Amino acid sequence: MSAISVHSSVPTARLSFAGILRSEWIKLFSLRSTVWCYVIIVAVTIGLGVLLAFTLQPGGTLDHAGQQNIALQAATLSVGFSQLVSSVLGALVITGEYGTGMIRSTLTAVPKRLPALIAKILVLGLTTFVVSLVAMIITVLVTAPVLSGVGVHPDFGDSAYLLAILGAAGYLALIGILSLAIGAIVRNSAGGIAAALGLILVVPIVLRILVGVTRAEWAQNVGAFLPDSAGGRMYAYTTGVVAQAGSPGAIVLDPWQGALVLVAWVVVLLVIASVLLKRRDA
Amino acid sequence: MIEARELSKRYGAKTAVDGVTFTVRPGIVTGFLGPNGAGKSTTMRLIVGLDRPSTGSVTVNGKHYAEHHAPLREVGVLLDAKAMHTGRSAFNHLLAVGATHGIGRKRVHEVIALTGLESVARKRVGGFSLGMGQRLGIAAALLGDPATLILDEPVNGLDPEGVVWVRNLVKHLAGEGRTVFLSSHLMSEMAQTADHIIVLGRGRVIADAPVGDIVAMSTGTAVRVRTPDAVRFAQLLSTPEVTVTSTEVDLLEVNGLTAPRIGELAASAGVVLHELTPAAGSLEDAYMALTQDEVEYHAGGLANEEVVR
Repeated sequence: MSAISVHSSVPTARLSFAGILRSEWIKLFSLRSTVWCYVIIVAVTIGLGVLLAFTLQPGGTLDHAGQQNIALQAATLSVGFSQLVSSVLGALVITGEYGTGMIRSTLTAVPKRLPALIAKILVLGLTTFVVSLVAMIITVLVTAPVLSGVGVHPDFGDSAYLLAILGAAGYLALIGILSLAIGAIVRNSAGGIAAALGLILVVPIVLRILVGVTRAEWAQNVGAFLPDSAGGRMYAYTTGVVAQAGSPGAIVLDPWQGALVLVAWVVVLLVIASVLLKRRDA
Repeated sequence: MIEARELSKRYGAKTAVDGVTFTVRPGIVTGFLGPNGAGKSTTMRLIVGLDRPSTGSVTVNGKHYAEHHAPLREVGVLLDAKAMHTGRSAFNHLLAVGATHGIGRKRVHEVIALTGLESVARKRVGGFSLGMGQRLGIAAALLGDPATLILDEPVNGLDPEGVVWVRNLVKHLAGEGRTVFLSSHLMSEMAQTADHIIVLGRGRVIADAPVGDIVAMSTGTAVRVRTPDAVRFAQLLSTPEVTVTSTEVDLLEVNGLTAPRIGELAASAGVVLHELTPAAGSLEDAYMALTQDEVEYHAGGLANEEVVR
C-alpha cells in the first residue's frame, strides 16, 4: 500500500456478453453454497437410484415398457428432492446479491442490466442441466447391473426412455430458472425461496386437498398446468401401457406439452422480472 | 467529467436530490460535502445509473453511464454500503467483476497489491473489517483503470495510514488528469484533499467553488491582537463597523478590519503589539455556516427550534 502505480494493462478492456457469462460462471462457483447444492444433487440422485435398485422386488415378469419404467424411476427417483435444491439455488443466485449488496457491483459493471440477468439464467440453467444429467447417467450405469439381477434390463436404445432422462435434467434446470425469476422479482432470499417453493410444493398440495374435498374436475385440470405437474410430465415414461392416475375426463399432458407449459411459466415470470429489473432502483 | 443538469430524485414523498446542477472537472479532486441525508450517496448512485432520476439527467464524459461500451473503464465507483457478496473471497469478487470487461488475473493482482490486500485476498469478504472492506471497494473501483473515480466516503473505517494513502492516491489520480469525485461529511478531510468543493444540503447545491473560496465564505474573519495596552487600543479601534471582543487581559479579537490595517493603526497610535494574527476561517467554520439551515437531522434542541420556526 506504499507505492502508487495505478497504470495497468487494461486499455482494451470492454464489456461483452462473453465476459458477462464468464463473470456469472465465476460467481456461481466461487460460493460454497452453490458447490454444495450440486454435490447434494449428485449424491442424492445416485444414492436414491441405488437404493431403489437394491430394494426392488418386481412381482412376476415385466414387459418391455414395465422394465423401462422401472429403470427410469431408478434414474429419476431423486427429482422430487433435487427440485427443492435447484429451486433454492436458483433463488439464491439473485437474492444473495440483493441481500449482500453485490447487485450494485453487478449492475455498475453491466449497467444495461438485462445481459446480467440473461447470463445468470444461461449459466445456472446449463450447469444445473449438465450436473443433473451426468448424475442420472452415472445412476443408470451404476444401477443397470443390479436391476438386471431382478429381471429389469434397461433398453438404452429406447428414445422415450432417453428423452425422459433428458426431460428430468431439463425439468430441474427450468425449476432453477423459475426460482431465479421469482427471486429477481422478490429480491429477498427468504421471500424468494418461500415463494418459489410455495409455487412448486404448496400450491399443488392445496389444490389436491381441494380436489379431494370437492371432487371438482376443474381443480384437477388446473393442477395439471402447475409447474411441478406439467414439468413432471417431462420425465414420465409414456410408451406402452402405463397406468394414468386420475378420472377419465382429466387432462393428461404429453411430455412435450408439459415442457411447453413449464417453459411458459418460466417465460412469463422472466418477463416480469426483466421489466422490474430495468425499472426499479437497485 | 461529470455533468449533472437539474437532477432530481424523489422516493415517494421524500425528495432526496432536488434539481442539482454541477460539473465535476478532470484533473482536480472535487469534494462532495454535506451532512448525512443531504443526498450525496443518492447523487452518486444516479451518476452510475443504479437509481433512475425523477427528472433531469447526469452524464459521464458526455454520455449516460449505461451508454458507454466499457463502463468500468469510464467510471470506478465505491459506494457507501458494501457492494460485495460476503461468501466470496476478495480475489474472486474482483475476478468476477473484472471478467465482465475481459479484465483478467493480472490486473486483479495489481489492484490487490495496490490496496494492500495480499494477505487477505483469498479470505471470504464476510470476515473483513470495515477498513478491509473499504480497501476492497477501492480495489474494485480501480479495476478498469477508470478515467473517472467516484468514491463515497472512502476513508470511512480506514486507519490513519489508510487515510493518508487514500488522500495521496486521489491526488495522484487527479494529477494524471482523471476526474476524481469523493464525498465526505468530514470537513477536515476535505480541506486536505479536495481542490474544489460542492456542498450539498437537503438535496440542493448550496456552494460550488474552489476550496479557498469556500473558506473565505466563512463569516467573521477575525484578527487576534495581543497588546499590553489592550483597553486603550480597543477603544481606538471601535467603530460601528468594527467589533472588538476580549477574552484575556491583553488579548483582543477584532472583526471588521484586516491585519495590515490594524498594524497601521497601532503604529500611528504608538501601541506596542505582541501578536497580530489573522485567524483564517477554517473550512469547518465555512461548512457549519453554510449548512446550519440545511441539516436534516438536527441534534435534539435544534430540532425543536426548527419546528417552532
